[in-house]
Amino acid sequence: MCATVQSGKARFKPFVSAAYCKSCGRCIAACPKGCISLGGEVNHESGFVPVKIDYTECIGCGICASSCPEPYALHDEAIKYYWENPKNQQNEAEREVLPQPEPKPAQRIPLPKTEPLMIKGTYASAIGALLAGCRHFFGYPITPSTEGSELMAKILPHIKGTYIQAVSEVAAINYIYGCGGAGVPCMTFTSSPGYSLMQEGLSCMVAGRVPGVIVNIMRGGPGLGNIGPEQADIKFACRGLGHGNTHALVLAPSDPQEMLNLTMEAFEKAFKYRLPVIVLGDGYLGQVTGSVKLPEYMIKPGTPEWAVAGDREHRANLITSLQISEADLERENIELEKLYEDICANEQRADLFNTEGCEILLVAANTPARMAKGAIRTLRSKGIKAGLFRPVSLWPFPIDRLKALLEAEPVKHIMVVEASLGQLEDEMRLALSYTDVKRPPISHVRRLGGVLPSGQEIVAAVEGLEADR
Amino acid sequence: MEHAFYETFFRHDHGRGLKAHSTHYCPGCGHGLITKYLSEAIGELGIQDDTVLISPVGCAVFLYYYLNVGNQLAAHGRAPVVALGQKTANPDSIVISYQGDGDLASIGLAEIVSSAQAGLPISVIFVNNTNYGMTGGQMAPTTLMGQKTATCPDGRSRFMGEPIKVAEMIAGLDGPVYVERVALFDHAQRMKAKKAIKKAIKNQVDKKGFSFVEVLSECPVQLKLAPVKASEWVKNNMVPVFPLGVKKDISDNAAEPWELNRPDYEVMPLLKEIGASQELPPRFAEAFPAHIDPEDIGVKFAGSGGDGAQTAALLLAKAAAQEGWDATHIPSYGPESRGGTSYADVHIAGEVLSPVVPKPHILAVFNAPSANKFAPSVLPGGIVIYDSTVIDALPETAEGVRAYGLPFTEIANGLGRLILKNMVCLGVLCAATGIFPKETFLEAMKRGLKPDPKIQEINREAFMAGMRAFEEKYGK
Repeated sequence: MCATVQSGKARFKPFVSAAYCKSCGRCIAACPKGCISLGGEVNHESGFVPVKIDYTECIGCGICASSCPEPYALHDEAIKYYWENPKNQQNEAEREVLPQPEPKPAQRIPLPKTEPLMIKGTYASAIGALLAGCRHFFGYPITPSTEGSELMAKILPHIKGTYIQAVSEVAAINYIYGCGGAGVPCMTFTSSPGYSLMQEGLSCMVAGRVPGVIVNIMRGGPGLGNIGPEQADIKFACRGLGHGNTHALVLAPSDPQEMLNLTMEAFEKAFKYRLPVIVLGDGYLGQVTGSVKLPEYMIKPGTPEWAVAGDREHRANLITSLQISEADLERENIELEKLYEDICANEQRADLFNTEGCEILLVAANTPARMAKGAIRTLRSKGIKAGLFRPVSLWPFPIDRLKALLEAEPVKHIMVVEASLGQLEDEMRLALSYTDVKRPPISHVRRLGGVLPSGQEIVAAVEGLEADR
Repeated sequence: MEHAFYETFFRHDHGRGLKAHSTHYCPGCGHGLITKYLSEAIGELGIQDDTVLISPVGCAVFLYYYLNVGNQLAAHGRAPVVALGQKTANPDSIVISYQGDGDLASIGLAEIVSSAQAGLPISVIFVNNTNYGMTGGQMAPTTLMGQKTATCPDGRSRFMGEPIKVAEMIAGLDGPVYVERVALFDHAQRMKAKKAIKKAIKNQVDKKGFSFVEVLSECPVQLKLAPVKASEWVKNNMVPVFPLGVKKDISDNAAEPWELNRPDYEVMPLLKEIGASQELPPRFAEAFPAHIDPEDIGVKFAGSGGDGAQTAALLLAKAAAQEGWDATHIPSYGPESRGGTSYADVHIAGEVLSPVVPKPHILAVFNAPSANKFAPSVLPGGIVIYDSTVIDALPETAEGVRAYGLPFTEIANGLGRLILKNMVCLGVLCAATGIFPKETFLEAMKRGLKPDPKIQEINREAFMAGMRAFEEKYGK
């Protein structure tokens, strides 16, 4: 619906806008009266030889215009586009002005006080999503994340939500890309091999600045591995998210209560930064049942101003991950860099346990952090000053807290406890390498393949250190 | 003429020069015509504000440069599911997915087939020009037999398979209401194409369902033919392989119109769904069962699959939570879970640190292998309760461990149902350990088991039978 200057006459009279004709000749073949031919002169703007029309036989049928593949090359003479002739002044009054989209913020709705639920981690996460205003779920069932999907499948249709079982994880993440692109909170549950399949979509979400929450209940790998708990997707979540310069906030709950809290918060952060947020749990955490308190409020989502929401206000919006010009793409990357810096500055989170006067600092996330807490109780009862530094955000690694801790406490040794081949340790070492803090020696307790480090192993490893000293 | 083109293509080279008003398509390319008919259909149906267009990867990747509607670009093959994400997010939007053959018929087969079968109302435009145009004219799933492309330079052979007939395949699914194949090689075909595209969108406006239009399109550059010759080539070579016409149309007698869910955010229905209760459970215990451990109690239930160890464990955890303590339950998980044994760990504490129970205060075992495996790990002074129907003797245990054997299975059998043995076990556990008053367990069973009165009653009976059996044998 362009601004045009229209005369009152009814009969179509073809007009060739010479600069826009690509000389394809479709109109020549289409004209029933043979009125159209290739002109002899090269158009000096386009480099093509535009067609010319002999009006003597023209019956005004318009077939030529309907055969022209270009929007503005061949049209009714009555339409005067301003760019075709300096005399065709653009009529500003006719120019369409769309309303400026305004952000409609999410609302907090108070919840009544309820008794705590006894639920497993995956359920807690699903409930966190529902309380965050998520009414759209797209996923492919994969052990050990399926109970989360099942709860969503049970509840969503009852509260007018949407549950779609996708044909694959590749599809699941792209439903999320579409739904999130509409500015609507949505999520998936998956587990390691499924998370691998989501990388392309995650990269597009980062580039297109689309929010969404991905809960990855990590299982043993590589390959299909097994369905035991592991933490071997930490590298993937913190350094991966598909190709290109991608990052997203990665949250690591360690008990069912945190599965609810962090999933709920993940939605808020996803919309705050317009990026996916990854909630990384482990298979054990998905299965463990614990007491979970509901928050004091739930969220009714709003509509962000950038949403492609299928209405007039948002019509000018575009979600794309493509920037064909190098300069544009470099600028986009620099903007992403600023966003990542912002997240690094504001979203570092850690939980400290018994770190006062701590000499042996255990570093652990997810379920291994609970094992470490149990071990610390034992160690403290034996007079060993052990404490726990638990990163709650894995990316950004909570280095500011760790640095402060190392500067404040007499830490003589760091021991990283994890169910992976050093992926958490690598994140920590990388983060430390950017600081000037003097770091103590680092060792580790690692279990793999679906086995978690046990409290006894941790205690024994720390006692081994003490014996060496 | 109504249409939905931008007046100036600002996204095309930032709207500079000729690109401000012309497309990036090569001369004579069918995409230009299809885009034009799409634009006119949107304009004529008066849905410009409602339309969300999903651009694909391939030559039409820049569709969002041209059409003045809500736009989102999808990755290779994913457009239909991105479209469904959009459609379910805003059921009032009119969502159009546009893809070429290298996209839809190859990398996106799973997405298009599953989306078509689901049948939700979106409109899909599929452009078949027998090659990957954008990437330089490689073989597509639709490339004709013998046709030479950059990746079948000697012509497509049997080894590469026959060209895929997408419209027929989609029409063979139950989901779609309308599938047609059209072409662009002469005026009559172009008008059919325009009409089909409009119908596919109108079907969505009318909530009828999934509609699909395949357009046989010219790619003069990759065919190395002048545009008009390319049209003849489509007519003479493609049409015999990809016959034109309506492949399926039940849009006028489709079932119920689609009404997609629009979420509500009512508090009480949600709380009901997640099982949150405002009614606080009654408490019966006076204090933490410190006679077992002053701050953190570990209990392990072990048996074989079907013994009900998990349910018993979960009920104990729920009982503890009811009394206001932190509690966890973890089923046997990981490598140990295979091999027929099923065990569950329960912790009860002010704050549970590690949820695993390597050394339980209380062990409840249902079979001999479990007893042999776990009884030695019970803490000194701990308690073992075991099913004496199937366990003759326990292995050596730590100092001060008290062991109580009662015939869980026989008692359950006496009640007529073997599966009640876990409730018998819980009754024994209650009597043997005094961990919580019996009312606590009964309340947990009331809340945690199915509400059917018969089920409630027999479970209660089994629990009480377990308690009585213990008291008869060992006294109160």
